[in-house]
Amino acid sequence: MHISEGVLSPTVLIAGAALTTAGVAAGLRKLDNREIPSTGILSAAFFVASLVHVPIGPASVHLVMNGLLGLILGWKAFPAILVGLGLQTLLFQYGGLTSLGVNTLNMALPAVICYYVFGWAVRTRTRIFVFTGMAFGCAFCAVLISGIMVGFSLYLTGEAFLPAAKVVVVAHFPIMVIEGILTAACALFLRRVKPELLEGLYVPEPIS
Amino acid sequence: MCQSPYRESNRTRGRQAVVCFLFIALGLGFGVFPAWAHKVTIFAWVEGDTVYTQSKFSGGKKVKKGTIVVYDKEGNQLLEGKTDDKGAFSFKVPKKTTLKVALKASMGHFAEWTIPEKEIAGVADSAGSRTRGGDVQVPTQQAASLTEQKATDEDSVAKAVGLSRGEIQTLIDGSLDRKLAPVLTMLSEAVDSGPSMSDVIGGIGYIVGLVGVGLYFTARDKRKDAR
Repeated sequence: MHISEGVLSPTVLIAGAALTTAGVAAGLRKLDNREIPSTGILSAAFFVASLVHVPIGPASVHLVMNGLLGLILGWKAFPAILVGLGLQTLLFQYGGLTSLGVNTLNMALPAVICYYVFGWAVRTRTRIFVFTGMAFGCAFCAVLISGIMVGFSLYLTGEAFLPAAKVVVVAHFPIMVIEGILTAACALFLRRVKPELLEGLYVPEPIS
Repeated sequence: MCQSPYRESNRTRGRQAVVCFLFIALGLGFGVFPAWAHKVTIFAWVEGDTVYTQSKFSGGKKVKKGTIVVYDKEGNQLLEGKTDDKGAFSFKVPKKTTLKVALKASMGHFAEWTIPEKEIAGVADSAGSRTRGGDVQVPTQQAASLTEQKATDEDSVAKAVGLSRGEIQTLIDGSLDRKLAPVLTMLSEAVDSGPSMSDVIGGIGYIVGLVGVGLYFTARDKRKDAR
């Protein structure tokens, strides 16, 4: 999922960086100071998730966890993923500094899309069956859309779209299922012990 | 500030949940520690007149069916090939120049290894008249005469054994390649060992630090508001 340095054309790199900047700005504007710790924890989870390697399928793939970030953070997934990816680039040499913008966009935009598509079910108190299904779908689709976007980035640089996207999506199919289950488990756990984290807004504590 | 006991327990439970969550995240990372992913590396070395390459993902999984493209110093494509199931690909030296071996694995992975001309110059024409252009040039007069002396010595040794210098050189190169093959394989295995524990902990530390900075600035804002 991390596109390396020297693969994409400068136009794609600049466009990706510009869109990511916009997304990060939107995320930071929505970031309430009481949400900084949870955003940081999820950013750390994203950072570490890339080390969990899944030896199923044709290529070497790892967890992405952008679905979970999208589900809980919404637009704030942009700064969280940028920080996580930036550190992965600097410390693990995954991806590259010039492709950081495109990589962030490829992982954070699907998170935001899934937040709007599936988030409602998790933010409101729906039945547990719907809740679990939506959390699973959120993670599944986030990775799927990410795969398609990686394929699209490669297509814009001259690779054929369908084969490129197909390779990424097929390689990440096990990841989609595993992340779906993990995210559903996380969401159920949070619903039981810390529902206010899922509801997005902290209810102001009564002052008396 | 008066809080009902229920509220209090709810908050501690919340704090516990966050701590649990962090441990789950860490556990996921460390539980499968040797299995890293998502970066490709290529390692290329010369043996005789053949260049061998070894490609793998960070963590040791071999790159199967990755495309290898070889360029010369000016960036002209010389040849192209695919890695086999063991991530290996080898080719005859196409041209006596600095070679850039680029690996293009699927999904936008890319890595490059440069073989300096010196390494290739030593082998490309080992069979015939051997120019020792790759060797260290010693500038001073004295050293030059020394090497000359050494060269004539070598020549006399060669005459005594009944082999030409070129033949001896080829024999030595051949046996050295054989002896060094395991070392080179080890090097190709070790060229990338994946992220270390300190990288992971460092990264998490950075994020905690960023959270701290964020909270510091918002806390200052609050103090101003209070005034």
